[in-house]
Amino acid sequence: MTPIMSALPFCVAAWLFAIGLYGIVTSRNYIHLVGCLGVCQSATYVLLLAVGYRWDSVAPIFYDHPPGTPAVDPVVQALVLTDIVVGATLTALLLVMAIQVQKRRGTLDPEELAPMKEQQAADACKGRVAEPQR
Amino acid sequence: MSILLALLLLLAAVTGTGIVLVREPRRQVFAIAVNGLVLTLLFLALQAPDVALSELAVGTVVVPLLFLVAIASVRTSRAGEDA
Repeated sequence: MTPIMSALPFCVAAWLFAIGLYGIVTSRNYIHLVGCLGVCQSATYVLLLAVGYRWDSVAPIFYDHPPGTPAVDPVVQALVLTDIVVGATLTALLLVMAIQVQKRRGTLDPEELAPMKEQQAADACKGRVAEPQR
Repeated sequence: MSILLALLLLLAAVTGTGIVLVREPRRQVFAIAVNGLVLTLLFLALQAPDVALSELAVGTVVVPLLFLVAIASVRTSRAGEDA
């Protein structure tokens, strides 16, 4: 039981990161892609808190415990707190960029926004292959 | 206690997978809110009440609202393009 329990948080963190990365790679919508990036970030929360966790210890608040009581590591908790706030900021920034892409290009599909796509479409309309530009 | 932790960890993995597999952004908002709630409970079980509070505020409320605003903005710009 105990070796499984000590390995489980790391397995969950690895799984969350992998599935988030899979979602980013296969996404066909930038808003969905930002959600998948959030899944990758939740993997870091689980990993950091699992690193700092100690069995049979209290939260690092010594209001009603005497100092010296075994407590979980407060440093990683501060890191996770920062991580959550940075993640929310990053989500907001990327969503604004997705809205701008939608306004400028009229689509949210990464495949439609491939750099060569427009050039190829223009060449197909003219009925000739692309010439090197001077 | 360890059973509860294992259950919450697995639940976090399942809801994270749900976020990725729900491809429609409007439905994904609900998946994100549920994942934020599960992560809040997990952090509470991991003896991190301050992180749980911040995750409850940010992950369950603010981020889904940001997604809703973005989806509404994209839809109105698309409707304006059609008109």
